[in-house]
Amino acid sequence: METMITGKALVLACSAIGAGLAMIAGIGPGIGQGYAAGKGAEGVGRQPEAQGDIVRTMLLGAAVAETTGIYGLVIALILLFANPLVKLLG
Amino acid sequence: MDETRKLQRNYLIYLLIADIVFVVLAFIFLEAPLAFVYGLVFGSAISALNFVELGNTLRRAVTMSPAKAQGYATRKYFVRYIVTGVVLYVSIVAPYINVLGTIIGMTIIKFIIFATNLFNDKQYYKNIFKRKEDEPSGH
Repeated sequence: METMITGKALVLACSAIGAGLAMIAGIGPGIGQGYAAGKGAEGVGRQPEAQGDIVRTMLLGAAVAETTGIYGLVIALILLFANPLVKLLG
Repeated sequence: MDETRKLQRNYLIYLLIADIVFVVLAFIFLEAPLAFVYGLVFGSAISALNFVELGNTLRRAVTMSPAKAQGYATRKYFVRYIVTGVVLYVSIVAPYINVLGTIIGMTIIKFIIFATNLFNDKQYYKNIFKRKEDEPSGH
């Protein structure tokens, strides 16, 4: 028996794959932030009087680095729960 | 109050000012501003909390050994990431919250950091058009 794949089913399946791929963007900032914190801890160990400067610089860098992860999350959630492509099918 | 907390407080004040500007603009230009304003306030409140939590995490991480700090910072990042995900999900599902407002509210603080640290520096704009080959060091 032949199974028909409807356009909507195909779009939903591809959207789910796209959402999964977009979530990969969330891993990078996590690894990066952890690496930066490790290096920051090393720096503070080497030069304890610079702790304030190190934390401040790392705070700004980490806050900006998180942005790309949030963008990926937004794309994934929109593809899953407010998919604009399904509406295009009519 | 240490310097990091002062810096965080300054950014939160800037965030509040930017929020007020966006709310005024929404009431002037949008047909249904209330949903956008709800989203904006929701998103920026959570991003402010995340920013404070990030500061606390890093302040604690630098006192640990490097290996422990790495794991601790990554773990805390994923906790914040899940919180962000829940906030975005709620704003997508709830009809009275505009998701665009939430996204803008969440990213305002990043643009404030860019504006106060990068775009206020004239040297940054000069360096865009400067060729490395023209520098006196010859690199």
